[in-house]
Amino acid sequence: MSFPGSSNFAMPAAMPKLGGVDFKPPHGTRAVLGNGLVVYLLKDGTLPVIHLTAYIRTGKLNDPIEKIGLGEMTAGLLKDGGTLKYKPEEIDRKLEFLAASVESSMGLEEGRADLTCLKKDLDAVLDIFADVLMNPAFDRAKVKLRRDEMLELVRRRNDEPGRAVVREALRAFYGPSHPYGWRSEEATLNAIAVKDLKAYHANYYKPNNIILAAAGDFGSDEELLARLEARFGAWPRGEVKFPVIPPVRLKGERQVFHVEKDAAQTYIVMLQRGLKRHDPLEYPLTIANEILGGGLSSRLASEVRSRLGLAYTVYSYSVKKPDYGYSLAYCGTNPETCGQALSEILRQYELLSREEAPPEEVKRARDSIVNSFVFRFPTPFELITERASYEYHGYGAGYLDAYIGNLSKVSPAAVLETCGKLFRPEKAMLFVIGNSKKFDKPLSEFGTVTELKED
Amino acid sequence: MKKKTASSVSKAPCGAGKAAPEGASIETDPAYPPVVSYTLKNGLKLLILEKHFVPTVSFTMIFKVGNVDGEQGKTGLAHLFEHMAFKGTKTINSAGYEKEKPALDRVEKAAQALIAEEASASPAPKKLKTLRAALAAAEKEADALVVKDEYLKIYTTLGESGMNAMTSTDYTGYVVSLPSNRLEAWMVIESDRFKNAVLREFYRERSVVMEERRMGEAEPGRVMWETLSANAFTTHPYRNPTIGWMEDIKRLTRTDAEAFFRDYYVPNNATLAVVGDVEPAEVVSLAEKYFGDWKGRPLPERAYPAEPPQKAEKVINIPFKAQPALRIGFHNPGMGHPDIYAIVMACEVLSNGKTGRFYKNLVEGRALALHAGAYASYPGNRYPSLTVIAAAPKAPHTAEELDAALMAEIGTLQKEPPTQWELDKILNNYEAEMIKQLESNSGLGMNLAQNEQLMGDWRYDWKFGEELRKVRPEEISMAAAKYFTRGNRTVVFLKEPR
Repeated sequence: MSFPGSSNFAMPAAMPKLGGVDFKPPHGTRAVLGNGLVVYLLKDGTLPVIHLTAYIRTGKLNDPIEKIGLGEMTAGLLKDGGTLKYKPEEIDRKLEFLAASVESSMGLEEGRADLTCLKKDLDAVLDIFADVLMNPAFDRAKVKLRRDEMLELVRRRNDEPGRAVVREALRAFYGPSHPYGWRSEEATLNAIAVKDLKAYHANYYKPNNIILAAAGDFGSDEELLARLEARFGAWPRGEVKFPVIPPVRLKGERQVFHVEKDAAQTYIVMLQRGLKRHDPLEYPLTIANEILGGGLSSRLASEVRSRLGLAYTVYSYSVKKPDYGYSLAYCGTNPETCGQALSEILRQYELLSREEAPPEEVKRARDSIVNSFVFRFPTPFELITERASYEYHGYGAGYLDAYIGNLSKVSPAAVLETCGKLFRPEKAMLFVIGNSKKFDKPLSEFGTVTELKED
Repeated sequence: MKKKTASSVSKAPCGAGKAAPEGASIETDPAYPPVVSYTLKNGLKLLILEKHFVPTVSFTMIFKVGNVDGEQGKTGLAHLFEHMAFKGTKTINSAGYEKEKPALDRVEKAAQALIAEEASASPAPKKLKTLRAALAAAEKEADALVVKDEYLKIYTTLGESGMNAMTSTDYTGYVVSLPSNRLEAWMVIESDRFKNAVLREFYRERSVVMEERRMGEAEPGRVMWETLSANAFTTHPYRNPTIGWMEDIKRLTRTDAEAFFRDYYVPNNATLAVVGDVEPAEVVSLAEKYFGDWKGRPLPERAYPAEPPQKAEKVINIPFKAQPALRIGFHNPGMGHPDIYAIVMACEVLSNGKTGRFYKNLVEGRALALHAGAYASYPGNRYPSLTVIAAAPKAPHTAEELDAALMAEIGTLQKEPPTQWELDKILNNYEAEMIKQLESNSGLGMNLAQNEQLMGDWRYDWKFGEELRKVRPEEISMAAAKYFTRGNRTVVFLKEPR
């Protein structure tokens, strides 16, 4: 049998001899203010611009279940709702006139607040940034505006089935009441009161719960640290209360979910259990995903897209989380080829977990990641942010610098072993949004189908 | 538009205190980045900018050919060709081109027979079946001579990042970033790619493009953009979507794509930007070595019928299962017309940030809109185009209510010139953007190459900023009054079917 993606390839004859790519990412400076605020700094005088980002240890996963959306609404109002010192309109006028930005947001596992400004405006913009983080006022009119906007986005959440399918598949996979799967609803948004926003802020936004990263033309490290000390130094440290996140419980058996929708394309998501964050299997799994669905020459793209012409978009990836993450495959296809595409995706997972990938293919996957490693840090800001994020997510100090070495050790046997352990396509969950009247095969051929309504 | 002449000022000192390579010129005006320009004898233009934080380099190759240059009945050809440009050359992706070529010709013959039957007045089902089987058999035979995805695998091994291509109505661009010690490798592969492209696996890639089109048909935003240009333009080819109409895509052949490649993929129709950790002299000498023998050729005549003035307002309703939204398009006079600066400023007054008028008055204030933005030029910049307002209402408000409110805001701007504060804010933002865009190698490369190849000068955006500074408040109101009128607009409403 021939392996997909394993046919030989060769560099063009005229190609010069290729050296390795040796890039040791700079470390920057790590400092801690008296109140526990951690700061990463990397000076870069190339352009008169300064970037700063703060990781606040929280995330959508800390929302109370009856108030899903609380973290996101809080983050969205830190600046927009005004502060002790500044009225909302004042902040907007000042920042926009200076072409600066201060924004804050909430991811599943992290709160963020970002600043970008020209060098000449650093003091003025930093004043606003600090007040936004420390003293938000949650102006009532702005709270209403933000809530109405979030409600409108709930109404619009199914407008693009190609996006909705990932959210809904994760919801079915983890269950609608687990933070890894849940979504805001009209009722949970309406349940959030101004006092909840204030309490959320008071609990999580504390200096000892924040890691800050900065890069740009800020003078010396000492100068920037003095500026930060002047703004944040008197911010008292305090205890943060974290809720207990319920453990992930997965069915671990084949389930098929279908949402009927008369759309031009049909969307398929396949989900399987993934890894917890610090599992060393991440290295072979990273290589496995690169082989399977990492780019245009990966097996999924090569077969489903290029050889069969069934899809424009098809890929796979894995996500680590504090508890079990997931491995996901995605495909958008003509409803008339839904069954064919689904069968081929399943076949590719089976193949990779049953037969050892040729060494040449494993080497190519390794080369791809090792040689493009440098692109994770295209700018000093992205580099220092990455360093801060590793501390945030609890990686050991040497994680980033050992990453390439760890990947380079992955053998074909290790890839096979990992795939055998993690990929059980016969048990994978399948989630499909599309017009079943046009399907080439009924979904019931893939397992017992649960019909869901778009909501 | 200005035509750029080959630059020959040499030995001017650059920002880093270096000399420009022989025959190249270097920008020394501190208002601009120190870009090195060089033109090969065949007309290929090079723009090089050194940046050394990380050992990487970003390549952007822009051809001035897009969907606007397609023929009637062959929309989507520029885009389909872009996909085909990843399928290799006579030596890449091929197990032996001498054997492969006749096999590819048999595929083409079989495909053309099938397309002819499909396009006939009454296709015979039995005959179609036979022809499809014949095409599949020919493809299978040709596949045996393909080294699958070799072009892609080479780049994967080299450690590419962001390898991609994009087609718009105006241009086609090919981008990739590599570790900087792969400079010569890029030259080897890409010179072969554009000199010796072989359009193998054509009909399956055409199916991939049909899926790309279906994907767009499922997205309300794309449906609105496509409907807007298709209805606002009656005559000029800007009316056609870049991806092509499905019925056109179904009839495109490899022979069409080869003719297109021959006509437009010539060095005198391209600009290459190289931004990153490189030595300009080395870039120039390698470009000479690998691209120097790429033959230039006169380009086809490109005089497309101009769009006649719109006579009356057009209102289009699209029934679609999604929440309501709208697009309003006003014909504008094009980027070459002096009114364009005031039009751009008007768009910014309306929708720049939370202090912009749409946000302040319609998202906040009257709380009618989820969002509303104004865009100066869609779908392109080469010819007179549309200035567009894209917006979505917030329930319980309707798209029609929002439309009325947007037009009322425009009405206010037509009567009362904006304040100096509004203009200063916009100019400050423009200036800051010009600085921030220097941060990303790939983004900057795209900007330089596109402006050079389409607008005639890589400094275009900087010069545009200088023109914006000259716009007086009353000129903005006058431009709004002249162009943002009922009779000059096409409105597209997207709503759930009743």
